[in-house]
Formats: sequence, C-alpha cells, structure tokens
Amino acid sequence: MTKVFEGEHLLPGQLGQLFIILSFGSALLSAISYFYAANQRDQHDQSWYKLGRLGFFINSFSVVAIGACLFYIIYNHLFEYHYAWAHSSRTLPTHYIISSFWEGQEGSFWLWTFWQAVLGNILIWKAKTWEKPVMAVVSLSQVLLSSMLIGVEILGSRVGSSPFILLREAIEAPIFSRPDYLQYIKDGNGLNPTLQNYWMTIHPPTLFLGFASMIVPFAYAIAGLWQRRYKEWVSAAIPYALFAVMILGTGIIMGSFWAYESLNFGGFWNWDPVENASLIPWLVLISAVHVLIVYKNTGHSYFTATFLTLISFVLVLYASFLTRSGILGETSVHAFTDLGMFWHLVIDIMVFLVLMVGLLVLRWKELPFSQKEEETYSREFWMFVGSAFLALSCLQLVVVTSVPVWNAMFKTNIAPPANPITLYNIFQGGFAVVIALFLGFTQFLKYKKTDATRFFITTLVYMFVAALITGVIIYITGLYKLRVVFMLAMFGAVYGVLANAKVLGDALKGKLKLAGSAVAHIGFALLLVGALIAAGTSKIVSQNETGVIRVKDFDKAGNPRENIMLYKNEPVTMGDYQVTYFGDSLVAPNHYFKVDYKRFDASGKVKEHFVLMPNSQANPKFGLVSSPDTKHYLLHDLYTHITAAPIKEEESMAAGATEASHDHANEDSHYNPPVVYEASVGDTIRFREGYMILRGLNKQPKLQNIPLKDNDVAVGAMLDIVSHGKAFKSEPVFMIKDGNSFDFARKVDDAGLKLRLSKIIPEKNKFEIMVYQQPESAKPYIVMRAIEFPYINFFWSGTIIMVIGFLMSIFRRNSELRVVPVKTGAKPVKKKPALVR
Amino acid sequence: MKKSSILGIIVIAVAIAVIISTYSTSSTYGSFNDAKKSTEELHIVGHLNKVKELYYDPTKDANYFSFYMLDNKGEECKVVFTGTKPQDFERSEQIVLTGQMRGREFHASKILMKCPSKYTQDKIETTEYKSKQASL
Repeated sequence: MTKVFEGEHLLPGQLGQLFIILSFGSALLSAISYFYAANQRDQHDQSWYKLGRLGFFINSFSVVAIGACLFYIIYNHLFEYHYAWAHSSRTLPTHYIISSFWEGQEGSFWLWTFWQAVLGNILIWKAKTWEKPVMAVVSLSQVLLSSMLIGVEILGSRVGSSPFILLREAIEAPIFSRPDYLQYIKDGNGLNPTLQNYWMTIHPPTLFLGFASMIVPFAYAIAGLWQRRYKEWVSAAIPYALFAVMILGTGIIMGSFWAYESLNFGGFWNWDPVENASLIPWLVLISAVHVLIVYKNTGHSYFTATFLTLISFVLVLYASFLTRSGILGETSVHAFTDLGMFWHLVIDIMVFLVLMVGLLVLRWKELPFSQKEEETYSREFWMFVGSAFLALSCLQLVVVTSVPVWNAMFKTNIAPPANPITLYNIFQGGFAVVIALFLGFTQFLKYKKTDATRFFITTLVYMFVAALITGVIIYITGLYKLRVVFMLAMFGAVYGVLANAKVLGDALKGKLKLAGSAVAHIGFALLLVGALIAAGTSKIVSQNETGVIRVKDFDKAGNPRENIMLYKNEPVTMGDYQVTYFGDSLVAPNHYFKVDYKRFDASGKVKEHFVLMPNSQANPKFGLVSSPDTKHYLLHDLYTHITAAPIKEEESMAAGATEASHDHANEDSHYNPPVVYEASVGDTIRFREGYMILRGLNKQPKLQNIPLKDNDVAVGAMLDIVSHGKAFKSEPVFMIKDGNSFDFARKVDDAGLKLRLSKIIPEKNKFEIMVYQQPESAKPYIVMRAIEFPYINFFWSGTIIMVIGFLMSIFRRNSELRVVPVKTGAKPVKKKPALVR
Repeated sequence: MKKSSILGIIVIAVAIAVIISTYSTSSTYGSFNDAKKSTEELHIVGHLNKVKELYYDPTKDANYFSFYMLDNKGEECKVVFTGTKPQDFERSEQIVLTGQMRGREFHASKILMKCPSKYTQDKIETTEYKSKQASL
C-alpha cells in the first residue's frame, strides 16, 4: 500500500541510491579482483587484473553520478529529500549551495570517496608494477567508505546513512500523512550561518583530499609487506606522503583561517577535538615522512618508517570516528551527532588496524632490520629522534582528546581538562621547542657521519645568534610576560629559521635539491613564530574599565572584562581608539553593525580613520550568530565582533525595520517624561547628551497632505542639534487649523530624541519646546569585543612558505623516482650508495 | 646498550609522563555539593531552572550574567558568568559548566549548552561560550 504523494521528485533519489549500491558493489569487485591479481603467479592471465580495473572505473563513475544526483537535488531545492531540506534553503547563493553539499556527514563521506576515486585513477595510470597490490588496498578502503553511504536495513540494523533519504522517511510527523504535505514545506533549514563563508566552500574539499590521499602511502606500505618488496615501496611512497602532508596541512590552516575570519571565539586555533582530530594524522604522517627519508638514505629505522606510515592512516580513520560517532558530544562545540554508525566506524578502523598488525607480525622475521648502530653524529639518528618527538606530541593530543572514548571503554567518569587550551598550549609548546631545535641543528649534520668539532662550532654559533634575535623579539613583543616554555619555543623557531636559511643559501649556490626541505622547514618555523606571538600576546582592546581596578596584571588574578557597551552615536574611548557605533545596514539575513574607529595623534588630529562592520545573524534556527570583522595591518590585525545586541526577529529585519514600530499610543513610553523649555530664537537648550539651538522659524514648513487655508497658520522651529559631537537638524511644527491647534512631533532617532513645538507664546516672543529623551536602556546598543593580534601575518605567510617547500620536495622526490629504475643495477645513481642498497 | 634502546626508554618515559599528567589535570564531573567542598575547577552538568530569573542587563554591566541551575542531583545554585548572555540560553536543554564556587555563587568560566533546534527534532546542537579569550 504505497501512498502517493503530490509533487515529489523521486527519480533523482532513486538513481542516486542505485549508484550508491553500484559504487559499493563495484568497489568490492575491484578489491577482490585486484587481490587475486596481485597474488597470481601466472603473468599471462590478465583476467583478474582487467576485472579489477573495470570495477574501479565503474566505481569512479558511480561516485561521480552520486554527486551529480545529490547536487541536482540540492540545487533544485527538492526539499522532499531530507539532505536538501536539512542543509540548504532557497536563499542560498550558488557557492554556498556547494558548501551545503558537504555540510552533512553524508556529503563529506561522498567527498572522501570522490577524492579516493580520483587518486585511484591516478594510481592506475602511474603505479606500474605496484598497481595490483596498491589498488587492492585502495579499493578495500573504497568499499568501506561506500558502505557508509548505503543506508539500507540489514538484519534489523541500518547500515550507513544515505543522502537520498526522503524527509518523510527521516522524520516522523503527522504532516507526512497528507498527500500534499510538500505544499507546507516551503523552505529548507538553510546553512549554518557560520559556515556561510568562502573558506567553507574550499576548506572541506582540501581537507578531505588530504585525508583521502593518506591511503596511498598506507597502501604502498601494505603492498611492500604483502609482496615482500620491503625496500622498494619507500621511494615510491614518499612523493605521495609529501603530497598528503601538504594538502592536509593546507586544509587544516584553511580551517583555522575560517575560524579566524568567521567564528567568534577570538583566534585561529582552539584545540577543539575536531581540530585535534585533523592534526593528529598530519603530525604522524610528517614524522613518517622523515623516517622514510632516513630509511631511504641510510637503511636504518625500517620498522619505524613502516609503522608510522601505516598508523597514520589508521589515525585518519580514528579521527573520523571521533568526529562522526557522536562520542565527543559533551566536549565539542561541533554539532556532530551519532548517525547510528558508531560500530560501523569502529569496524572500519579495526579492518585496517588488523590488516596492518597482521601483516607486520606475519612478516616480522623478514623485515630488513639494520644491525649496525647509528652514529651519534649522523643526521639520520637525530632525524629519527626528532620524528619520535613529533609522534609523541601527537600521542598527547590523542590521549587527551580521547577522554570520552576512555570513559566509554572503561566506564569511568573523567571530565576533560578544565582548561584544555592552556594544557595543550603548554604541552605542545614543550614539544615544539624540541622539534624546532631538531629541525634546526639536524641541518648541520650529514648522513652517516659528521665531523663533530665542526658541527659543534656551527651549531653553537647559530644558537648564539638565534638567542640574540630571540631576546630582541621577546623584548619587543612582550613575550616575556608568558611562561618560559613559550620563550624557549620562540628560540627554537628562530633557530630553525636561521639554520634552514643557511641550507637554503647553500642550496641556491648549487645543491638545489636540498632547497625543498629547507623552505618547508623555514615555513614551519615562521608559522610557529607567528602563532606564538599572535596567540601569546594578543590583547583585548575592549577592556571594560568600569568597576575594574586598573592595576597592572590585575586581569591575571581577577576577571578580565572583555566586552564593552556602545550606545548608538556615543563615542567611547577604547585603548588607542575612539569607537562609535553609528549605524546598521541590513543585507538580509545579515545585520551589519557599523563601528567607526578613530585614532588621534598627540595634538588631537585624526591619524587614522576606518569603519569595521561586524555582523550578526538573527537566525530562527541558529540563534544570534556573530561574525567578526577585521582590520588587517602589515604587522597586526584588529579584530572586532559583536557579543550581544538587541536584535530583531528575522521577519522584521527582512522588511528593513530597525526601529521600533510606529505605534503612536505606546510611543511615548519609549521616552522619558518630556522636559518643557521656553526659548527665543537664538537660545540654546541643553539636554543630557548635547545641546540644541533654535536657529529660527520657518513660516512655510512642509506638511504632507494637509492643505492650509488662509486663516491657518503653521510654524516650524528650525533646530540645530549637537549630540556627542554629531550635528543633526530637526523641525517640529506647530499649526493652527480651523481654530484648533495641533503640533507635529519630529524624531531624531540617531540622537534618541523626540521634539515638539507645543505652544507659541506671543507676549514673551517665546516658543515652548518639549524635549523627549530616550532612556539609556531603550537606545540601540551593541556589546562588542575587540582583540589585537600582533604579527599574525607570520602565521599565514609561514603556511604558504611551508606549502611551497612541500611542493619543491615532491618534485624532487618524484624526479628521483624517475631516474632510479632506469639506472638501477648499472651503477649507483647519486653519490649515495644507500639509494640502491 | 644501543642508542636506540636508550631513546626507546626516553620515549616511553615521556609517554608515561604525558598520560599521568593528563590524568592528574583532568577533573571529574561533579555536583554543586562537590564544588562547595573543593577549590578546584570542575565540570557540572545540569539544566537551567527556567522558573527563576535570568539576569543580564548590558546597560548596567555588559560582562555580568547570572542564572539558577539545577545539577543532576537536583541541587540548585546561583551561577555567575563573566561575559555576555549566550543567545538562546533560555532554550537550552542541558548545560555543562566549568568553574568553581565563590561564596554561595558558582562562578563559571565556560558554559557549554545544548539546544534543541526549532525545526529538527532529530538534531541537538551544542554551543560553547567562554568568558575569557583563549591565550597562551
């Protein structure tokens, strides 16, 4: 008994669902076929191999088709689908429709499978002899990812969550018993306003490309163990590992840029569990890359290199479990809920963890462990130690972020640390010191063996110079007010920049292939410098001094009061600035508050003048969501956001009404009782926030729709008003018509005034003027917070430099790859015999 | 002993130190009763007493917000938050506070609240508010 519903478009959903099943089936076919192809001894039988490729091509096609169906649904506002209804709305512009596409879990899973399909095709094209085993692993991952989207009932429990579920299937409500229910669903939920930012259009695809590309080094490592090609896989995997590190790093920083530009927590990094979840695999893979390079150059540390490469991908899956299973519910701001995939995600992790551990155990005896001891004065040894510390810093992140997981596993009731930001900052600051020093001094070491005396001399000279520079930086930026560990981290970062600058200098003279790592290291160290100064010495400009004792460092002990209150058109001194909230502008659904900033020099002249427009959205679903506005300088940023405002409901905002409704009966209740003045022309009337001068009388005031007869009189009082340094004009009118007297009040909203010319007193040649003032609380106001972030541009530019460095390294490692197979066996390719060991 | 073994020992030592220090800095979820006995910061889960008044008047003090909360054991306490009132606070279903007792008031440094969404019954949103800026 299928009910017929009017106006539903079922075709795109059914097609989409079909392609989901097809993508799952074809991935499974591909994985199995590649598995048999890789295990086959007979080189002439190509059937499994062809079947594997075919399966993967069908999978790629279906993944693209799923995306097309979903996009069609969202783009055409087919709200009969839960996904479109939950994540988009009719008012969204196209580029945010793209963002809403991956706002939901299903969409981001799709993004992941999509990138994995793209990478798989690149591997089919490029991997040559590695194709069969590597693609078997990639396809296996594709099988598990596609299963997350299936959304069908198997043995009474739902497997995966499909983006093509209809609204009436997803939500139970009486309305869905009506065949014409669609008429009542006018619009979707819309996109969370904090996600309506251009970074949200490009940050998720970048991040998921990063996550997806981590399968490649993992697959190579598995393939190496599986096919007993223990040493070969390393060179092939390094460029992919570097690529993954580069893209994931870019994605993470884009996320922090989004946080900085559009979230109002006041910074770029918050150690939120979701942020940590993306950082964890990144740190491990970076550490893996270094150990892979160590192994490639010296033959040492094979196990560590393999282990880190393998575990980094398992950690990607673990991160995905943390953010998607709903387990972080009580600790994270991010609104991820359990889609009933808790165990599904656990299985996903377990499959790859078992695969990894199983193969390592199985092949343990054959692994090429190096019997030699590393030299103390060798680069490989210290690179190895540095990588170990990098992995340790990651361990700390995992342990702390996973507190809810420990609680679930051991039935404990541990709360996360009360002040996680400080905890992470101190710990990670400590690790940063070690890591930054390592990425500095290892540059003076050579592989195999280094001359100790020379090494110590150069290292110490650079350390001395770095210490001097650090001293200056610490003094100028005020970093000395912080904990010692952050000063040490600054020293490490400066040292890292200097040491790698030397390498870069040498590289430019000839050894160009070393340039990539030097540039990446400089970028990373600069990023540290920027993060330390910006986060460590950012200062609240909007200190509220009322009721707070102004003693230096008082705020460390007491409560810093970070918000200030601004009434409309009343300038307030805030730090070096004079700020005025002077207006609003409405671009529905955003309410922009115009805040005027002025800075004066010693003589009182305006040195600087600009307007910031932080906005808030009174969204019926999400409440008031504020986005900051930032003034960027070369050396610092000034950041302003609204923490509270008497915001109107969206409906009235859309109509453009910012002022209270014009209900005359109630209107005077918005004002204090009037004060009556008798004034002559030229007199000044003072009121609480300024004064006004009665300039003169207008015998022909403008009156709309009221024709005046001969005996009628109308007089307007021309008033010049000055309130808080701003000038206004107003002309209340007094009128005698048909023997009755009337008067027309005039309002000056920006000054919070209502004025009446209530009487003319001819005998005294005076005019009675009634002044209504708004009480303080009825005036429009905003509560805002302003923060200064010094030297934040180091952070952003460090990122860009780091990415350039990664790119250079990828090209270098890739070119090595091309040279090696051709000449192997004939003679050592480069000076290092280790390459062909 | 091989150098790598020494390194291994160092790594294990640091790892243990990390875990112990994490455990020692972590607090447990508690009640107002626990908070009265302790000087440490702790987490309290509960819900807003919607009958009693929420006080936030930015015209008087933009950084003072107070309300009454019932913890999971049903005990009520006045809570003071140095900051602005989180939007839609009235609609919150569950609140997680971080802070400590000062006299008879609980001073919260962080409020994590969960609101039911107006439109979707199948989703719960979580929002966090901090009175202080994150800093090193």
